[in-house]
Parts: sequence; C-alpha cells; structure tokens
Amino acid sequence: MKRCTFVLLILCLLLTGCWDRRELNEISITLAMAIDKVEDEYQLTVQVVVPSEVSMKTGTGRSTVTLFQAKGETVYEALRKMTVDSPRKIYPGHLQMLVLGEELAREGISESLELLSRDWEIRSDFFVAVARGVTAAEILNVSTTLENIPANKMFNTLKTSEGAWSATNGISLNELITDLVSDGKEAVLTGIFITGDQEIGSSKQNAESITPAARIQYDHLAIFKKDKLVGWLTESESRGYNGITDSVKTTVGPISCPNGGKATIEVIKFKTNVKGKINNGNPEVDIEIKVNGNVGEVQCHIDLTKQESIDELAKIYEDELRKNINQTIETAQKKYKTDIFGFGNAIHRSNPREWKKIKDQWDEKFSDLNVNIKIDVKLQRMGTLDNSFLEKMKD
Amino acid sequence: MMKDVKINAYQFLVLVIFFTIGTSILVIPSNLAAQVKQDAWISAIIGTAIGLLIVWLFCTIAQWFPNLTYVQIIEKLLGKWIGIAVSILFILMSFLYTADLLYQSGTFLNIHAMPNTPMAALNILMVMIIIMGVRQGLETIARSAEILILVFFILFIFLVIFVAPEVKFENIQPVFEVDTKAIFTSSFFYVAISTINAVVLLMIYPAFIDKSKQAKTSFIIGNLIGGIIIIVLTLLCITVLGPDRTASEIYPGYELAKNINIADFIQRIEGLMAALWIISLYFKATLYFYVSVLGLAQILNLKDYRPLTLPLGMIAVALSLILYPSLVFHREWDTTTGISISLLIGLFVPLMLVVAYHIRKIFNKGRNE
Repeated sequence: MKRCTFVLLILCLLLTGCWDRRELNEISITLAMAIDKVEDEYQLTVQVVVPSEVSMKTGTGRSTVTLFQAKGETVYEALRKMTVDSPRKIYPGHLQMLVLGEELAREGISESLELLSRDWEIRSDFFVAVARGVTAAEILNVSTTLENIPANKMFNTLKTSEGAWSATNGISLNELITDLVSDGKEAVLTGIFITGDQEIGSSKQNAESITPAARIQYDHLAIFKKDKLVGWLTESESRGYNGITDSVKTTVGPISCPNGGKATIEVIKFKTNVKGKINNGNPEVDIEIKVNGNVGEVQCHIDLTKQESIDELAKIYEDELRKNINQTIETAQKKYKTDIFGFGNAIHRSNPREWKKIKDQWDEKFSDLNVNIKIDVKLQRMGTLDNSFLEKMKD
Repeated sequence: MMKDVKINAYQFLVLVIFFTIGTSILVIPSNLAAQVKQDAWISAIIGTAIGLLIVWLFCTIAQWFPNLTYVQIIEKLLGKWIGIAVSILFILMSFLYTADLLYQSGTFLNIHAMPNTPMAALNILMVMIIIMGVRQGLETIARSAEILILVFFILFIFLVIFVAPEVKFENIQPVFEVDTKAIFTSSFFYVAISTINAVVLLMIYPAFIDKSKQAKTSFIIGNLIGGIIIIVLTLLCITVLGPDRTASEIYPGYELAKNINIADFIQRIEGLMAALWIISLYFKATLYFYVSVLGLAQILNLKDYRPLTLPLGMIAVALSLILYPSLVFHREWDTTTGISISLLIGLFVPLMLVVAYHIRKIFNKGRNE
C-alpha cells in the first residue's frame, strides 16, 4: 500500500503539467507599448524583444527588438489581432514603457488605459509618457545606444533624469489613474520626442555610430484637464511643478551672483509640504519647502570664506525658486485653469466639509486661489574648494 | 470514537484566527472601501469590536452545555422536531458556504494565476485536500493549522514590511469624512462573514476542547487577532493603493503584493504571497465542511461521519460550479442574500436559543417548586 502511494505521488510530480503553462519560446515579451488613434481606431504598437539577439552567445548582429502593429476598435482587439503578424502571443507582463500618441492624448486617454489596468498579466508599475510631435509608434521605432533595448533606455533615462535633473517625472500607470479619478488633482505626463533623422533611426546602424542619427529624448511635462492633453509646461515650469508636488530628488539650479556672473546650487534634499485651508470661506494653500544644498559651481567673484556670502547665495536661490514656483502656479491658474498640483486634494484633506461645497466649481476657485509660499534654503558645503581659482585671476 | 476527539485551547485559537481571516482577507478591503472610502479601516475596527460582542454571545451559549455540540444544543433546547429543522438549516448554511469558498478559491486562481484552467479542476484539487483533512479528523486539522499559522504569519509580516515603504498617509486623510452611520452599516458585511458565520465553530467548541474555560478566551482572542490582521490589511490597501483603487480592485490584497518592490531586487513575489489567501481559504473551507458532515452525522445518529465526506465533497464541487452564474452575481449575492442567511442562522438562532434557555429555566423552576 505504502509503496503504491509513493509511486502515485512520484507520478504526480512527473506526469502532471500546468494547464496554463507557457514556455518561454511560445511568448514574445514586450517591453514597450505605444497607443495611437488613427481614424477612430486604436493603433497599437508593441516593441518585442528578440531573445536570441539579447543573449551574448547567439547574437547575429540583427536588431534586438522588433515591432508589431495592429489596429482595432478597442485596445484589446488590437492586441489579439497582432497574432496575425507575430508568431508568438504577446506577453505584456514585463512592460516598462507605455507611450501615448499626442493626438490620442488630446482626445482623451482614459479609455485606452482601461485594458491595461484590468488585464491580469499587466503590472501597473510601468512609466507612461506622451509622444510629442510624432506618433507614439515612431518613438518605439528608434534604436538606441548604451542600452540595447530601446524600452530599457526609455525607462532608465526617465528614472535617471527625474532623480538627477527633475524636469521630467516618471509617472506610473497607478499614479496616472489615481490622478485621473481624483477630483482635486489633474494629471501630468512627461513628453517624449525624437531628434534627428528618423529614417536612419530605426536601423541598427543608428546605434552603431558614435553620434546616433536619431535619438529619443524626454521633453517637459504635458498638462491634462480631465483626461485630455491641454498644453505643455516649459522646462523651468516643469521643474517648478516637481518642486511643488515634492517630486524633486536632486537637481541643480543656476543663480546670478550678487556682483554679476553665475553660480550653481546643487540641491541634495528637497522636501515640500502642501497644506490646504479655508480662510473666511476662501480656499488657501500653504506651501512649505525645505531645501538642503551645496554650492556646486561658482563662476563669479564672491568670497566663499565668509558665512555672509553663503547666506547671500541661499537668499538668491530662495528668491529664484520662489519666482519659478510662482510662475508655474500662474501658468496653471491663468493659462490652463487646471489644478495639476493637487491643491484640491490638500483642501479636501484638511476640510472635507467645505471641499464638498466648492468641489464642483473647483476649476474657477483654483484660478484665483491664494498660495502662500515659505521657502527655507540651507547651503551646507561647497564641494572641495573654498574660494574659487577665479578669485586669484581677478588681478 | 467521535467522543474521544480533543484539541487544546491553543489549537482552537489558531482555528479561530484562520476562520476569522478566511475570505475576509480577500474581499473585505475592497468592500469596505467601496462604501466608506478612506475610512474603511475605521469600519474594520468597529466591525471587529461588534464581532467580539457576538463571539461573547456564542461563548455564553456554549458554556451552558460544555459537552454538547451546537446541533445537540439546538435539539436539547428547541425539542426534537423544531431542533432538527433548525439544525438542518444550520448544516445547509455551512455546506453552502463550503461550496461558496470553493468557488472563491477557484475564482481567485482563475483571475490571477490560471485563467485558462477550468474551475472544476481547481475546485476538485481543493476539495480533495479538504476531504483528506476532514477524514483525518479534527486533531489533524488543528495540528496542521498550528504549523501553517507560522507560515501565514511569516508571509503576512513580510507583506507588511515590504509594502511599508509605499505607504502614503495622505491617502487616509481626511479621517472620518463619512458619517458614523455609514461606517456602522458598512462594517455589517465584514461582521457577517468573519464573525457571525463563526457560529459553526460551536460544533467544535466546547465539546471537542479539553479545557473549555480557556477555550472561551481562545475564541475571543482568536477573533481579535483575526480582526487585527484584517484591519492592518485594510489600512495598507488604503494607504498604498488609495481608496479608489482599493474599491475597484476585486482582490486588493493581491494587488498590494504586486506593489512590492525592494530596490528592484525583491519584486514579483505576489505568487508567493498568494499562499496567504490559499492557506486561510483552505482552513475556513475545511472547518465549514467538517461542521456540515459532523452535523449531518449527528442528526442522522451515525456513529462515524467519515462515510459522508466523499459524497458530500463531490456535491460541494458540483454546487460550487453551478452556484453562481458569474462573479458579479456572486458579489451581489454575498452582500444581500448571503448576509440574510448569516444573520438568520448566526444571530437570530443563537438569540432564540438564549430565550428558549431562559424560558426553560423559569419553567423548570416553577415545576420544582
């Protein structure tokens, strides 16, 4: 009896399989996806990894990725229709980048995102970006240097630039949907575009030269109202936006020295606190920013051995930051009338009862919202030098 | 031989914890968030508090007859024929929920792991281990629960630690946005599925527990620990996913596990975390099934309940496949008809028993004098 059971158990291990098994050679792993709207239909483009080209041993020098494209009335239809072209079923579980066409973005993005949040295979931690000036499909059609797989390059560039420069913002599908659903915050997405010659861009040759003929680059932030793209922020406004929404990790900011010339402040810590309140029936927002930074570069004459000069530089940076933030808020308030900063949410959090009353006319209320900004800049170090060698060249 | 079965108070505590967590861990966060948004965790706290009161009621009933199972208590208090009718209802409920849990575990795997596998295959596998457990007897179930609770807690603590970096406390603000009434009504469903249904545990407690005094504390503490786990999970779902997404996800807890990403190194471990749900679903289903076969055996005056396990198990699988035409129907049924059945069997009947007990007491006193 015992032996019999044992044999049965062994057979269970060896003979059974999984109903839903899919071997690696039956699926095509897609890392980037692009959605465009073409004549009332969704045009879906996926960038699929060619496994043999990615591996070190069997690479034959062909392109590491390939594109499949299909059109459909819905995104899902297009995705499945792709199998008439692709020899393997598209597996979206490792998706890194989703690029939305600008035209689609202007018409509204929410419908095209539904599948991506519902499908069980897709994880919603990939970044979303908007193609600027070109279709989303064209963005996927550029080969890249340094990262073999363009999708990885897009993902990593966005991650690095939001961490070190802070004019872009890596927004995952989760965050995007939260913004779309929320009453008190509108969505933004980072733009992505191509510079150079697109014709050569798609060939492997593009990645082989030192200066690629075509490059994919990130642009500034796109502003949305509900789910429709309404405009683009400038670079400094994008940085202002990231400052207000506490998305700045590190960055650098050029300032003018007191006696003319330029200096650069390296920000190593940037912490923003937004508090909403109702003052005499009017909504108000307090922004409190704490910046820790270093003097990163001095191109002017200033005596860095004195604490006063450091204080002076901090004061200048504070003023410029304030100007930048005011400018950004004004653009959003006057030009686009859309609350991309989540001030509505801040008021909701602090005073849910009043928020309920003003919720419906929030766009107008937001336009004349009073914003108080408090900035505290601390400059701690100044690299490896005290006074610059420029100081000695003076005479 | 049924009489000899004894488990200790700690083992009972573990079973109560599993029973309380059971299906709540899957469906409660989204159900609460759909009703009261970011205040869902307050509802969970209140639900747990109400739950403790109900458990106290169960304990009171149990302690009147420390050697009888619930079916026997019903018969003793309500007389033979009414008693049997009520007991049959009780067993039907327990059996229905066995099938319901099979459906839920099958659906969960269907949605998140194996969409093309027929649910019948998944449910048959599940019911096979349930039958195996029940045939081995309560002691074996309790001992395996003792081992698996460790696995459960280790995984749960991992889950909490790993998603902790993603917590955003802005998501639970403003606190107390909805009124108190909404918070109370929303906790209703939670109380029904995790505590009122625990009436089936009266088939085990007090009759099969060696020290029934301690077992009372086990019942209450077990319910409390289970409640705390649900509260923590709800709080995590709300703070990490936000109230809107928690409400729209069918299984927000699983979505939570998907969010784990420690330095791009520890990630995509939700498959492992699914063990949490499967373990707790298994024990809840096993307890329901054990109670239905044991109860039926006692009504039919059988010496042993084991011959009933296989046929009833088969019926449970068939029932789980035809019970709900769609997931939407199931979710609707759960929050309407399901609650009514639970209230009838789990709250109304025990209260009736309390009344019957006191009437009998007065009646007996009158006769003695």
